[in-house]
This record gives sequence, structure tokens and C-alpha cells, in this order.
Amino acid sequence: MRDLRPLAAVLIATLLLAGCAPSGAGSPTSASGTSLTWGVTTEPQCFDPHRSTQQNAFIIIRNYVDSLIAKKPDGTFAPWLATRWKISKGGTAYTFRLRDDVTFSDGTRFDAKAAKVNFDYVADPANATDAASLLVNYRRSTAPDPHTLRIELKKPDSSLLESLSSVKLGFLSPASLKKGDTLCDASRSLVGTGPFTVDGYTRGQSVRFAKNPRYDWPPGHSEHRGPARLNTVTYRFLPEYSTRAGALSSGQVDVIEGVQPLDVPLFKDVKGFQYLTGPSRQTSFTLNINYTRGPGADIRVRRALRDGADLDAVVRAVYRGTVPRAWSNIGPDNSDYDASLKGSWGNDPKGANRLLDEAGWTGRDGDGYRTKHGKRLTIEVGYPQPYVRDNRDVLIEALQAELRQNIGLDLDLKINTAGEFTDQKAHGDWTIYPNTLNPLDAGMELRQVLGSTEFLYGNVRGYDRKLDAMINRALATTDLDERRPLLARIQRRAVDRAYIVPLFAPHYQIAATDEVHGLGFETQLDSPANNYAVRVGR
Amino acid sequence: MTTRRGPLRHTPTALCAALIAVLLLAAAFPGLFGAADPLRSSMPESLQAPSARHWFGTDLLGRDVFARVVHGARYSLLLGVAAMLISLVLGLLTGVLAGLSGRAADEAVARALDVVSAFPGVLLAMLVVVFTGPGVLNIAVAIGVSGVPKFARVIRAQTRSVRDAAYVTHAVVQGRGRGWILARHIAPNVLVAVPVIATIDIGTSIVAVSGLSFLGLGPQPPVPEWGVMLSEGRDILRTAWWAGLFPGLAMTVTVIAFTVVGRRLQLLLEGRTP
Amino acid sequence: MSAATAAAEPTADTGTRASAPVALRRAAARVATGIGVMWAAATVAYVVLHAMPGKIEDILVGDQTYPGAQEAVAAEWGLDRPPLVQYLDYLWRLAHGDLGTSYAMRQQVASVVGDQLWPTVQLTLAAAAVAVGLALAVAVGTAGRARPLRALASVAELVATSMPVYWLGILLLMVFSFGLGWFPLTADSGVASLVLPAVTLGLPMAGLLSQVLRESLEATLEQPFITTVRARGVGETLVRLRHALRHALAPVINLGGWMIGNLLGGAVITETVFGRPGLGAVTLTAVTNKDVPVVLAVVLLAAFAYVVISTLVDIVNLLIDPRLRTR
Repeated sequence: MRDLRPLAAVLIATLLLAGCAPSGAGSPTSASGTSLTWGVTTEPQCFDPHRSTQQNAFIIIRNYVDSLIAKKPDGTFAPWLATRWKISKGGTAYTFRLRDDVTFSDGTRFDAKAAKVNFDYVADPANATDAASLLVNYRRSTAPDPHTLRIELKKPDSSLLESLSSVKLGFLSPASLKKGDTLCDASRSLVGTGPFTVDGYTRGQSVRFAKNPRYDWPPGHSEHRGPARLNTVTYRFLPEYSTRAGALSSGQVDVIEGVQPLDVPLFKDVKGFQYLTGPSRQTSFTLNINYTRGPGADIRVRRALRDGADLDAVVRAVYRGTVPRAWSNIGPDNSDYDASLKGSWGNDPKGANRLLDEAGWTGRDGDGYRTKHGKRLTIEVGYPQPYVRDNRDVLIEALQAELRQNIGLDLDLKINTAGEFTDQKAHGDWTIYPNTLNPLDAGMELRQVLGSTEFLYGNVRGYDRKLDAMINRALATTDLDERRPLLARIQRRAVDRAYIVPLFAPHYQIAATDEVHGLGFETQLDSPANNYAVRVGR
Repeated sequence: MTTRRGPLRHTPTALCAALIAVLLLAAAFPGLFGAADPLRSSMPESLQAPSARHWFGTDLLGRDVFARVVHGARYSLLLGVAAMLISLVLGLLTGVLAGLSGRAADEAVARALDVVSAFPGVLLAMLVVVFTGPGVLNIAVAIGVSGVPKFARVIRAQTRSVRDAAYVTHAVVQGRGRGWILARHIAPNVLVAVPVIATIDIGTSIVAVSGLSFLGLGPQPPVPEWGVMLSEGRDILRTAWWAGLFPGLAMTVTVIAFTVVGRRLQLLLEGRTP
Repeated sequence: MSAATAAAEPTADTGTRASAPVALRRAAARVATGIGVMWAAATVAYVVLHAMPGKIEDILVGDQTYPGAQEAVAAEWGLDRPPLVQYLDYLWRLAHGDLGTSYAMRQQVASVVGDQLWPTVQLTLAAAAVAVGLALAVAVGTAGRARPLRALASVAELVATSMPVYWLGILLLMVFSFGLGWFPLTADSGVASLVLPAVTLGLPMAGLLSQVLRESLEATLEQPFITTVRARGVGETLVRLRHALRHALAPVINLGGWMIGNLLGGAVITETVFGRPGLGAVTLTAVTNKDVPVVLAVVLLAAFAYVVISTLVDIVNLLIDPRLRTR
């Protein structure tokens, strides 16, 4: 056998090599009651709150980052690192009184100067942060004394409080801000004031957090004070639905985020498990129709597209009854959602067909699609591949099938690249863009997708000036009583003219073993809250 | 072991050839198989198990999986053949060029092929698709380009051996023109190797295309391409095994058929080559 | 010539003479062409990436716009310089061992790719082990044996080579993870979690290798020297393992380079099926997001692997078949 020995040696070495894989946290140690393991959908590309753009990254980032104020479920704001605040008459100056006992996890003090350094850093275009879009109206901050922060705006901006409650404008220590770019890597140089600190990161596998023992400044509406109850929290990145569900079933993790509809029966109302769904306050998944281009420029075609399908049935088939269909692009749990839209549109194939007949799309081609002057009634939906998730492409496919069968409209789904979509934005020639937005103030959200200066309509000629003026008025007022009806009118106009076709109201799903207590959702983000309130045990 | 018998006098080959014929038929006239409209969805009929009404069950959107598998033959075959043709034509050109030219050109072609081979097939295809956009033709180009070195190397070697063969040297000595030699000697003897690799490559290309679909870079939904169907079936595997099983089965059987026929062809042709 | 060898790309025309200077010169030439191939691959990728639709700064800014955002991002990454300057700057830094920073992840490319390399290499090696191990067992066990056994083996080989990798993965998941619960689903639980992915990736390769090896073994077993060995009363198993196998391995080794390349490519898909970390996910995101530095690093890495492996194959060929040395 001498000849085979080298080969055998290679084989054995390979298997050994494979065996000593740097395996992550072995089994969760829920028995000890002080540590918790999550299985999450997304590995953040960037762990820096100011630079991250992935909604799912904030679930993780929130563990080490606090904000000035916190948003409460009723839409008002609770104190956090600021104990109280005052808005000037003209709405251009905000004065915050800060807590005096807060320190960053490296021991340095959090004071008005640290807050000012953060805002100045984010607002400076040279730093090219993503969060800068929240501070477009920011003029400057001043720190009259260590515990007073004054923010001055270029013009009134009713979205500022919401923006300040966002994790994107949370605080990093001025020392770590100096490290700039490198903060995207989850390392100990990410120093915040949060209840946990970064403890270790294995790319592609997991990130681990340790308790911040000095923490005593949770948001005003928290149920307990002092440090978090868990000693360590591990987030494991398990991008496949089946893998996450399997990991929870087999006890390899304690909690998972992102449960696909068909897997819900594995955990919901099952002994030993719990299943929670978060609110849907932010944008609903919506088709934004470019109302200046091609067939979509005709309001009759847009309305036909909006009403040509039984959206209830489509959403039910794809999501198995786990999510509601949407009526507005603002989430149904948002205090600025216009509830009067409910039941006001949709599922009227007859009317839709009549509208298309009127619009002159009366011919039919070999595939059963409507035509006019020999041209097929086609509208392209360009969906950038990096944003495709959560069966949303399947939902559009279902809608596509319904519209084809019901009204002969060809909803041409194209999964494109971020680059192609970028090009379309630059030329203003995108036709339908399906999206949800990162959590924002409702007025800001409406401006993002319908406003004349933002990413969708920024380069489109012939946008709706009346709608644009309404949006700007809503954002300029700080009077909620005046603002709310205005936001409702904007939503109604957008739906009525079928600039938007809201599809469904997404929400986060959490499944966990029944030994995990205190799981919840953060109002401003809609996503699972950090682990401050969580404990493990019977 | 195998002698010169008719190509179809070998049972497995005959079976596989018949299968290819059936596939071609399905691609050309899917209606013949009684398959319903592959795009027709019906939400109430979502995820039904195989039954007399839906032989292969229904998918998440209530579409008939059997209809989609039958109609999918067209896309998969078309893509497989197109990708193969692209590899073949480019491979023939570069292979013959390298085989007939002098050392420098030969070396240059060899290095160029090295560069193409240095990209793993999937990566190269990804780059091409992202560059050109995910149209059906673009996908064929993506897969076709990564197959070029394989064809080119075989054809170059074949060209070389023919060029150096005694009868060619003889023809040169006789003062025959280049064109005459190319047409009379080189072409037929080089082309003899082509049907074999080509046939087998159709199968390989079909699998490669479906790999791209699986990564989300394939033909656009709702096209019933088998790879697209498989990737849609993956997440619902636990509940609806049929949505992923049947397209995969169709693809495997197709690839087997092309491989078996290709190999048989090889045995027959090798028996005849000088 | 079998289909399998037709698919291989042996580069065996580099014979080596015994004299040392010549060998050295050849080695130097080999290194030079290797670097040339890597440079060309990176350059091609660079040109293609820059010709893709969408300006990089626009993609990076995404949907969150504010006045001046694009310009700030472009200035930050030096994207406002002419493409040729950017290219030369890239090469200059590359020559100094700097792979640059990922646009999307804002982290050193070397650490991003370096961290994801190991899981992919691990999967590839494990799959290669599965492929070689299975192929050896099947080929040695069935070469020249009774017809039903051989027929069974060749059908199995045919099926294994014809299955799309990811479909096989799905089937294995369905049966062994969901059905029987033998193997865990999570990617980071050690050897157990590597079994299914390695089998998925290795099985098609095993089918191919086993075919080639059996044909080659059968040819060897008919050689006169085997008859001599048998005549000395050596047992059949020993004949096969000790005497025939060594001679039959040559074509398999020629397949080696192609095999590793194929496995690396297939690993991308296998990683997606099993949700394993590795280069697959990184590459896919980087290509679709036009994250140029990351894609180029992956391209360089793949080209490097290709060059090293094809060189190794040539060396092993020289060792196995001394005739090549004097040719």
C-alpha cells in the first residue's frame, strides 16, 4: 500500500482541516439565563449608524447606540439622553437639556459638545455619511453649557424630532468618530453609550456583544433601569429562511428574526415557542408609477393598473395571511396614516377594463395583451436585485399574472442591477419602482418618493407641482394639528391619481423559545428592539 | 466492446434520442402535451399537491407545475443550444487560428484562453450578465464565452495533429494552395471532433444557465425556465416539495440524454476516424 | 479520447530538460506568464466593471439623496479622476500589496476577502476529498468487473454528473436535514454542517473522475506488466491498488486543475443553497453593486489559484511520467 499513503494523508489532512473550522458559538447557553443567541437574516455591510443603509443592520446597531430622544408608539417622543426640549416660535431653533450622568463605553463623558461633534460630523458633506439626508436643513449646533444643546435650522423642519430619535443620528464617541471610515467594521473602536458593547465579530458568521455594566440611561418609557439583564448577546447571520427556522427548532439559537409565511405554523401557538409580529408604521411596499412616462402618463392606465387585480387574494396567497394588504404607502400603524383610504380603491377589473377601453387600448395581440396602434400595453417594473427580498418579487409576479388575466396589461417585471436603476434615476426614465423606505418621519417619506427634489422625481420633468407644494407645506409646519390633515390629503391625492399603488404592509416577525422574555419592537424602526429589556429563564 | 452499429441499435442511446425528440417537440409545440397555460395563475389553487388535475401540483401562485415544466423545455433547450453555438463558433475560430499559425500567435491565443479560464465560470457569467443585463440572449453569451477555452483547446490540438500529419505535408509538397488544404484536409478532420463536444456541451450549458437563474441572474420571471422554477421552489421546499422536484428532474434527465447521445456519437466517430 | 479529457485543459506541452539553467529559465517564464495572466484578468474585469451601467457614486448614494452627496462620495473615493488615472493608481497600489477599500462595506478588501476565503477553501477541499475518495472507491471496485456491477456504476456516474449542483443540494437538504434530521442546517456548527455541502459539491465531480479513472484502470489492467504481476501470484486487490492505480492516475491528475476551478465556481452556488458564509455571497453582492475593489480582488484570487494549480499539475505530471522529462 506504500503508493497510496500520500494520497491517504492528503485526504485525512483535508478532513481534519475541514473539522477544525472556526465554528461560532456552539450551543446557546440559555440555561445560564445570562446570554442569548439570535439568528438574523442580514449581516450588516456596515456597523456605523451614520453610514449604514440596511434596515436590518439597525437591529444590531441599536445595541450600542443611543439617541437624544425616543419615539413612543402614539407618535410622541420620550426623553432619552435629553431630558426635555423646547422649540422656538419660528421652528428653526431646538434647545435640549441633556442628562448629566451619561458616559460612552470608553469612559469619556457624553455632553453637549459630544452631541454637537456628532451632528457636525454627519452634516458635513465631506464625510459623505448616509444620515446626512436627515440633516439637510441643519445650520449648526451650539453648546452654551455642557448640558444644553441648541440646534439651529436653515428653515423650519417638522421632521427633525423624528430624525433625532432615529438610530442613524445616534451618538458615537468623538474619539471614535475620528477613525472615520474604519467604523464600518464591527470592532471595539465602535464606542457608543448603549447598553451593550461590541465584543467580537467573525465575518460571515456572527457578532457578539457584552453588557455595558455602567448603563443607567434607558429611554424614558423603559420598564427597568440600570444595566441590561443579559451578559452577552450573539447575532448569528443565517440568510436562508429554512436555516433560521431549523436552527430555532433544533435549539441552536434562542430567537430568530424573519420567519417566512409557510414556516409560521412551526412556532405560532406551538408549545415551547412564541411568535411575535412588529408594527407596520413606516412605508408599505408600494409600486411608485412614473406618471410622466409612457402608458403610465395616462391616469386611466394607472388607475386600471391599481384596480385591475384582487390585491387581497394576491397578498393572501403569497404571504399566507400573515400580512395585511396596504391602502396607503404610509404604514397602517403610523399616526399619520390616512385611515379613510381603507376600502376606497382596488379590485375592480370591470372598471379597469372600461378605463383601458376609453384610453384606446382596445386591440389584442396573440398573447392576449391589449394593444393600441399595434403597440402592446407594457409597463416595466425595474426592481434592483440587491433589494429583492421577502418574496416581494413573487408578489409582483402574482400581480403580473392577475393583471394579464384580468385586464390584458403587461406588467413587465425586470430584476435589474443597482447600476441600471441608478442610470434610470439619473435620466428620470424609470417607469415603475417598487420600494419601502428606511424609517423616517411620514412627511419625509412622502417627500422622498413623491417630492420633486428627491431620488425618484429629482430628474423627472413635469411632476405634479400641486402635490409638491403640499408636501413642502407639511414639512415646514411644526403644528401637528395643521400637519396631519395635510399629510392625509397628500396620501389621498397620490392614491387617487394612482401615482402609487400600495401593495402590502410589511412587518418584522420574531420567533423564539418560550424561555425568552421581554422581546419587543422599537417604535421608530418597526424592527426588533435592542436587548436591553430581554431576559432568559423560566 | 462497441463496434460500428447503427446509432440507434443501442437501447439506452435509442431511449435518450427519443427523449431528446420529445423535448424538441415540447419546445416547439408545448400544446401537444395537453399542458395548460404556464403563466395562468389562480390564487385559490396555490400550492396544491400533485393530483389528477395538476400532475405535478401547483406553485405558490397556483400555476400548474406540469405546464411550466413542459413550456420550460423551450427556454432551457434554446439557451443550452445558443450557449453551445457561441462557444463552438468562437472556439473554432480561435482553435483553428492557433493551430495553423506560427509559434507567436499560438502562444498569444493560449495565454488569452488562460485569461478566460482564470475566471471561474460562474464569476465570468455573472460579470457578463450584469454588464449586458439579464436578457435571454445575454445569458447565452455569458455561458457561451466561458465555454470557449474548452472548445478552442480541443480544436487547436486536433488542427495541429492534422497539420503535422503526413498527408498534409504531402499536399504542401505537391504545391496545393492553403485554401485547398484547409477545405480538403483540415476542415473535415477537425470538424469530426465537434459533434461530440457540442452535444455534450448542450447539457452542460443548460445546467450552467440554470445556475445563473438560481443566483437570480437568469431569465426574468415569469418565464418558466427550469432554473427559475427551482430557485422559486427552494424556499417552500418544506411545504411543497413538488415545486422544486419536477423541474430539477426534467433538467437532470435532459442532461443525461444529451450526454448519452454525445458519447455514443463519439464511439461511432472514433471508429471511423483514421 | 473521452469526453472528460476533452473537457480538461492539460497544459502538458511544457517539458523540462534536465539541465538546471534551462529549468530555472522555464520556471521564471512560468512565473512571468502567471503574473501576466493575473494582470490581464484584472484589467479585463476593470474595464468591464467600469463600462457597466450606473455611476459608482450614484449607486453608493442610493436612495438617500441630499445636495452634493454624489460629489462628496466621488471625491472621497477618487472617482472624479479620469478612468485611466484611477486604473494606474489601482495597479500602483496593487504592486505595493494594497487591494484597496470596499466601496460598499468601507473595509479593507484584504480583510473582507481574506475572512471569507477560508470557508470557501474549506468547502472546496472537503468536496475534492469527497470526489477523489468516492471516485477511487468506485473505480477500483468496478473496473473490469462483471457487467451488472459496471453498468450500475456507470449509470450512477451519469446521474451524478448530470444533476445541477444546487438541485442535488436541495434534495439532500430535504431528505437528510428536514426529513431525517441527521445534519444541522446552520453553517457554523463544525464538521457536521460541512457534510451535506461537501457531498453536494463533490458528487458530480466524483461521477466524472470515477468514469475517467475506470477507463484508465481498465486500459492499464490489460497491460502486459499486470499479467506479469498476476503471474507472480499477487492478489487482485493488491494488483489494483499497488500496481495498476499508479499508472491509471495520470489522466485524473490532468483533470485536477479544471476540477479545482470548477469546484470553486460551484462553491458559490453551494454556499447560497446552504446559506454558508464564503466568497460566493461576497462576490455576488460586489458584482451587482459595482463594488470594483472587491470584484477585482476575487478575480485576482481566482486567477492566482488557476495559475498555481495548472503549474502544480504540470509538475506532478513530470513526477508521475518520467518520459515527459526527456521529451
